[in-house]
Amino acid sequence: MTITDGLRPLPRPSWRRHAGWIGIAPLAVLLVIAFAIPVGSLLRLSFGEGDFTLEHFARIVTVPLYRSVLLTTLTISATTTLLCVVMSYPVAYLMATVGPRMRALLIVVVLLPFWTSSLVRTTAWIVILQGNGILNRLLMGVGLTSEPVAFVYNLSGVLIGMTHVLMPFVVLPLYAALRGLDLSTVQAAEGLGAGPTTVFFRIVVPLTAPGAVAGATIVFMNALGFYITPALMGGPAQTMISQMIADNVGRQLDWSFAAALSTVLLGATLVLFVLFQRVFGLDRLFSGGGGGSKSGEPFRLTSRGRTAGGLFGAVMGLAVAVFLIAPILVVFPMSLGSSPFLAFPPSDLSLRWYVSFFENSKWVGALTRSLQVAAVTVAGAVVLGTAAAIGLDRIGQHWRRTIETAFVLPMIVPVIILAVGLYYLFAPVGLVASIWGLAIGHTVLAAPYVFITVRAALKGFDPNLELAALGLGAPWHTMARRILVPVILPGILAGSVFAFITSFDDVILALFLTNIRTRTLPKLMYEGVAHEIDPTIIAAAGLIILVTVALLALDLVLTRKRP
Amino acid sequence: MKTRSFFAAVIAAALAAPPVAASADEMVFASWGGTYQDAIRKAWLEPFAKASGVKVEEDTGPETAKIKAMVDTKSVSWDIVTAGGGGLMRGVAQGLFEPITADMVKQDDVIEGARNPYGVPSEIFSTLIGFSTKAFPASGAQPKTFADFFDVKTFPGKRTLPDKPETVLEAALLADGVPADKVYATLSTEAGMKKALDRIAALKPSVAVWWSSGAQPVQALGAGDVVMALGWNGRFQAGMDSNLPIAMSWAQQIPQVGYFMIPKGAPNKATAAKFLNFILKPEINAELSRHVAYGPATKGAWAHIDAARAERLPSTPERLKNALFLDIDWWAKNGAKATEAYTAMIKG
Repeated sequence: MTITDGLRPLPRPSWRRHAGWIGIAPLAVLLVIAFAIPVGSLLRLSFGEGDFTLEHFARIVTVPLYRSVLLTTLTISATTTLLCVVMSYPVAYLMATVGPRMRALLIVVVLLPFWTSSLVRTTAWIVILQGNGILNRLLMGVGLTSEPVAFVYNLSGVLIGMTHVLMPFVVLPLYAALRGLDLSTVQAAEGLGAGPTTVFFRIVVPLTAPGAVAGATIVFMNALGFYITPALMGGPAQTMISQMIADNVGRQLDWSFAAALSTVLLGATLVLFVLFQRVFGLDRLFSGGGGGSKSGEPFRLTSRGRTAGGLFGAVMGLAVAVFLIAPILVVFPMSLGSSPFLAFPPSDLSLRWYVSFFENSKWVGALTRSLQVAAVTVAGAVVLGTAAAIGLDRIGQHWRRTIETAFVLPMIVPVIILAVGLYYLFAPVGLVASIWGLAIGHTVLAAPYVFITVRAALKGFDPNLELAALGLGAPWHTMARRILVPVILPGILAGSVFAFITSFDDVILALFLTNIRTRTLPKLMYEGVAHEIDPTIIAAAGLIILVTVALLALDLVLTRKRP
Repeated sequence: MKTRSFFAAVIAAALAAPPVAASADEMVFASWGGTYQDAIRKAWLEPFAKASGVKVEEDTGPETAKIKAMVDTKSVSWDIVTAGGGGLMRGVAQGLFEPITADMVKQDDVIEGARNPYGVPSEIFSTLIGFSTKAFPASGAQPKTFADFFDVKTFPGKRTLPDKPETVLEAALLADGVPADKVYATLSTEAGMKKALDRIAALKPSVAVWWSSGAQPVQALGAGDVVMALGWNGRFQAGMDSNLPIAMSWAQQIPQVGYFMIPKGAPNKATAAKFLNFILKPEINAELSRHVAYGPATKGAWAHIDAARAERLPSTPERLKNALFLDIDWWAKNGAKATEAYTAMIKG
C-alpha cells in the first residue's frame, strides 16, 4: 500500500476516475483484435476441426516424447533466465560505475549483437564454438585441453546462444534500477561495516529486484518460444516445444496438434506465471523497488575507488562484455572472405559479398523496408505500451494482475501461431503483403516489452509528486511532461530498443505477411537457407555494425567538442 | 490522439494497397529464393517470358502453411509454387493443389518414379554419402555404400545425419542388407521400423551433428568436425566447387524429386500450364542442370547434356540403377509417426 492509495478519494473530474482505463484501452483493443481473435481461432483447433475431441491432448499425454520436450523447454528457459540475471549484474554494475563514454561503449556492446540477425549471430557462434573452432584452437594452443571440447550441438551450445541473445533484456532494466539506487544507502551500509558480499545481497539485490524481475520475466517468456537457436546450436536432446509446434504448423500441416501443443505450453506458462505472482508477489517486488532517486545521489563510483568486491564485479563485467561482443568480432573478418563457405580466418580477402549487397537492389530495398516497419512498430508500441503502463496504476488493485497477465500473453504464444492467425485476419482486408499488416503484427509482439519496462520504471515515480503538481493547478499534460515522463524515460527508451529489436529481427511474421515487394531483411536472409547460407548476409551484418560504430564514433567526437 | 492517427494511417494504407493484378498474360512464380531460384530464373523463367511474352513475376517463401492460408481465405496470389515430395503430398492431402491432367500438361517424357497427378517434376536431387578426403584420401579405402557409413570400425570418425527421419531410415535398412525393393515393406512392419531405429541408435555415439539445414553437413565436413555426412549431392558439389576437401559416393543413393505445382484457385491457371509444358521440352528441361547440380526428371533432356555436366548429376540412367527413390506416398501415410519415433530415439 502506497500513500496514494490512502489519498484515493481526492475530488477529481469525472473523466479522470476512468483515466486508468483510458490508458489501458488502446493496447487492449489492439491485443483483442490482432492477437486474441487470430490466435484464439487457431488454438480452438486443438479441440478438433469439426467435432469436439480431446485426442490431440491425449496424444501429448500418452506419448512420452511430448512430456519430455515440455520439460526440456521449461528447464532450458529457466536456466537461460538464471544465467541472464547472474551475468547481467556485473555488466550493469560496470555500466553504472564508469565514465559516460565508457558507458556509451558498453551500451553498444550490449546492444550490437541484436543489430545483426539471429541467423548471423548463430553462424558466428558456431564458427567460434565448433570442434575445430576458434575457442577450441585457442584452448588447445595454450595447452588447456588436448581434445576439442564439444561446446556446440549440445546443451552448452543452446545456453550460450540463448543467453547471448536474451541478456540485453535484463541488462538494460537492471542498469536503470542500479542507477536508481541511492548511493547514501550503500555508503551507510559500508560505514556500518558491511562487506561487499553483504552490501550486494542485502542492499543491491533487494533494491534492484524490480529491474531484474522485469528483465527475467521477458527472458523466460521469450525463451519458451525459441526454436531457431536450439535447432541450429543444440542437439536432439535440446529439442524445444516451439520447434515441434513450428514443424506441425509448417511442415506436417497438423494445425490441430500444433494448437494443442501451444495450448499446453500456454497453460503451463500461465500456471507458472500466476504461481510466481502469488508466491513471490510480482506486485510486491515491483513496488518494493529501489528506483529511489527521489532525493539521494544516484549510485556511482565514489572517490574512494573500488573495493575488492567492486573490482571483482568490474572484472566479471568486462568478461561478460567480451562474451557479448565475441560473435561480432568474428563477423567482420568472415565477411571479407571470398569463399561461399564461411570460414575463420578467411583464406583470402575480398569485398565480393559487400559488392553483392550493393549491386543487388533487393538487399538495400529489404533493409530500407525493415527500418520502415521497425519505425512504425516502435512508435506504435511506445504509445500503446506506455499508456497502458501508466493506466494500470490508476485502476483497481484486483484488475491489475489479470490485465498484467493478459498483456504478457503475446510473449508466450509461439510466433508462428500468431503469424498464421494474422494471415487469416488480414487476407480479407488486403493487409497481407503490405508493410502495415506486418507493423501491426510487430506492434502486438513489441508493445508488451514497453509495457513491462515502463511499469518497472514507474515504480521509481513518486505518486505524491503527481498529486502535488495537480493540486497546485498544473493541467495533467503539464504534469506528465514535466514530472512523469522524465522519470519513466529510461523505461520508455529500453522499451523502444526492445520494440525495435523485435521488429528488426523477426522472420516468422514476415514470412507470412510480406511478399517479394514488401519483404524485410531477415526474411531475405532466410531465403534459401535450407540449402545454403549466402555470405551476403554476413556482409549485411558487417555493414550494419559498421554504421552503428561510425555513428557512435561521431557522437563521441561531437561530445568531446561540446563545452 | 497519436494512436488514432496511427490507426488512420493503417486504414488509409490498407485502402491504398494495390489490388492483386490478374491479367491474362501474367504469371506469379514462388520458390525458395537463393541460388536455387536464381538458377530457375535463368534456365526457365526468363526464356519463358521471352518466348511467350508472358510477364513473369516472382515471389518467395511458398510455405505449405501459407499456401493453405491462401487457399482457405481465397487470396491465392501464386500460379506456380515449388516443393519437395513431402510438401507436395501434405498439400495434396489438404486439397491445396490443382490436379494436373494430361490435357493440361503432357508428361509422357517424365521418368516413371517421378510422376505425380498434382505436380510436374522440376529436378532430381539425391541423398548420399559425402566424406572428408583428408580423413579418407584416395590413396586408402574410401566409404562407398550406406553400410560403410554405419561401419565405424573400418571408417572411424564422427558423422552428421539429418534430424528428420526421411532418407535416414531407408539408408539404415539398406546398410543392413535389406534389398531396395523391400525397404518400404520392411519399414511398414513394427519389427522393420525397430530394426532401422536400432541401427541408427547404435551409431549415435559417433554422430556429432544432427543437421537441420542443408548447408550444415558441408560446413561440418569442411571445418573437420565430422568425417562423413549423409547429405544432398547439390550441397556437397557446391563445397567441392569451392575447393573444400570433400568427395561423395555415387555407389548408393536415395533420390528425391522436386515438383512445381499449381495452387488451387491460382489466378492464371492456363498460363501456369503453358509454363509447365514449356519446361518439359527436352532442350529447355536440360537447362536447369547447367546452373545447379540437380538432374532432369525427363528422359529426353539427356540428349542435350554433355558428359562433363552429367558427371555432376544424380539422375543419369546409370546412377539411377543403384537408387532407391524416396516413396512420398509411404511418407505421407507414415511420416508423423515415423518422425515421432525418430525424434524420441535421437533425443533419448
